[in-house]
Amino acid sequence: MRLRDVSIRAARSLKQAKARTLLTSLAIGVGAFTITLSLAAGVGGRAYTDQIVSANTDIKELSVAKAKPQEQQGPQKYSDTSSGVATGLFAGQYLNLDDISKIKQIDGVVSVSPNYNPQVRYISGPSGDRYLAALSTFSPSVTLKLAAGSTSGDLADNEIILTEAYVTALGFSDDQSAVGQTVNIVADKLSSPLSNPESRTFNYVVKAISSKSGLAFRAQSTLLLSNNASKTLYDYINQGTRNYGNFTVTAVQAVSADKTNTIKQTLTDMGYFAQTAADILGVINTFINVLQGILLGFGALAVITSVFGIINTQYISVLERVQQIGLMKALGMRRRDVGRLFKLEAAWIGFIGGAVGSGLAVIFGLVVNPIISKALDIGDVRLLIFEPLNIFIVVAGLVLVAVASGILPARKAARLNPIDALRTE
Amino acid sequence: MIEVKNITKTYGKKDNVFRVLNDVNFTIPDGASVAILGKSGSGKSTLMHVMSGLDRPDKGQVVIDGQDILSMNQKDIDKFRSTAMSFIFQSFFVQANESCYDNVSLPLEIANVPTKKRRSKIEAALKAVELIDKKKSRARELSGGQKQRLAVARAIVNQPKILFADEPTGNLDSVTGGVVEDLLFDYNKRNKVTLIVVTHDEDLANRCDIQIRIKDGEIESVKGKK
Repeated sequence: MRLRDVSIRAARSLKQAKARTLLTSLAIGVGAFTITLSLAAGVGGRAYTDQIVSANTDIKELSVAKAKPQEQQGPQKYSDTSSGVATGLFAGQYLNLDDISKIKQIDGVVSVSPNYNPQVRYISGPSGDRYLAALSTFSPSVTLKLAAGSTSGDLADNEIILTEAYVTALGFSDDQSAVGQTVNIVADKLSSPLSNPESRTFNYVVKAISSKSGLAFRAQSTLLLSNNASKTLYDYINQGTRNYGNFTVTAVQAVSADKTNTIKQTLTDMGYFAQTAADILGVINTFINVLQGILLGFGALAVITSVFGIINTQYISVLERVQQIGLMKALGMRRRDVGRLFKLEAAWIGFIGGAVGSGLAVIFGLVVNPIISKALDIGDVRLLIFEPLNIFIVVAGLVLVAVASGILPARKAARLNPIDALRTE
Repeated sequence: MIEVKNITKTYGKKDNVFRVLNDVNFTIPDGASVAILGKSGSGKSTLMHVMSGLDRPDKGQVVIDGQDILSMNQKDIDKFRSTAMSFIFQSFFVQANESCYDNVSLPLEIANVPTKKRRSKIEAALKAVELIDKKKSRARELSGGQKQRLAVARAIVNQPKILFADEPTGNLDSVTGGVVEDLLFDYNKRNKVTLIVVTHDEDLANRCDIQIRIKDGEIESVKGKK
């Protein structure tokens, strides 16, 4: 018998038991739904972290600390030679200017920008109101979402990028009109005596306004200056104090992205703790993979349950159609074809279940994606991404699972003795 | 020509051996109509099963046109049955959920007849049993007599050489039964197809060329017009 004829007959007999077919398919559909969603969440999640990392870090950049932060085992011993950072939980050591110059000499390193994070007193604009401000260093290859202005290339040393929240606070009417205007930052020189405090006003031209983005961490509240401008402020504030020249962490720019790993190796050999953008991404992705794995596990459980459903349904189908099978065999239908008939029925069940389940998952995704994005406030980012190949693999896989679970009932049908099957009394 | 030689078939084991067929021998010429007569339990159905290769006897041969079908492997027997034999049963065994067309199509599908050639054959068979107007009706909508006529259409669609009929009128009243009988004998005479009817109905048996009587697994008598 031809495969086409067998598969038409298989589909026809399924159609005759619509409710049963549908219910059995739905069992496998639950599995398809869960698996499709977990795959979509995995793809979406990884794409999301990719975006987060590219919005906040530079793939050519490494983050370097003196040593890997240690979980604190009781109070740390004081030492004169090295200054240390100690918080309640972690203890580490600062990088000093010697370290910075050593790192600069490594082959492939373009520049080293320690996190100056200058602690200024306030920022003010046309309105004259004074506001606290956190400052950070601008990196040209970190993606910023801009509401106004543009940052083609690097930031000049007298330029600043404001966040949207500061626009009205500082007294500008809107984002666009703030661009090109001047803001003042006042910083204290920490080493000046208490009796005669010294402070200075620094002027910056607003280059652009960064808008609130679901992806960027720092663009939300920090104002960005060029590396040199940060250093100037830092030097003014801290020079002459004990902590001058001590940094918890520094960014190291490599000449190209593929150089980062060799530089990381060199740094590690020198005793520093270095992480590439890929490492940071990897940590987040591990998290997503674990979550995806759990969801996949649930899906697999649903599929395993549905296997028994299919076996049961197909056994009943064989018992119901003993006479039909007997007649087919009497008419010369081969065992192999009888078996195939029932395996194809199972395949149809798997296909319907897989298609319905993953179809519902896609619809679910379409409905839920905007809701999630809104709830998490991540803008246009979609957390569920359905890849056609993944859906195809899920459906094909479930068809195979269904065929495999149809093997036992199909064998029973194939082995049926036509004489027994055709006995009427 | 069908030669049945020394067929012996037993059921059961050791102390409980039951001999259904005991050294059965006879010959059927091509195109003949043959009645296998006997009471229930006489072994007549088993004889039909053995002759069609559905059942395997302990001993003996069934030689059809010079070939012993019992020595063939399962695949070849199946192929032989799908191309050269067909069956009509007392309880019709038509598929109630399928259309008349699909019911008749089944033997052609099993025999791997190309899709293009099926339609004309199916329509010819349905015409022969006067069910062409019911082509698209489901078999469950048919009356008993119509169902058996549908079974006849299914049996003749692939132009078999041998037609087995197991109590073909057993579930029908005398009028509809008569119509089915006429169809079978008409087809037998016109196409020189060997017709083997298993029955306990004397009137039906008397319409056949040869009557083979079976009693307790042995041939009681073979009578023939020829």
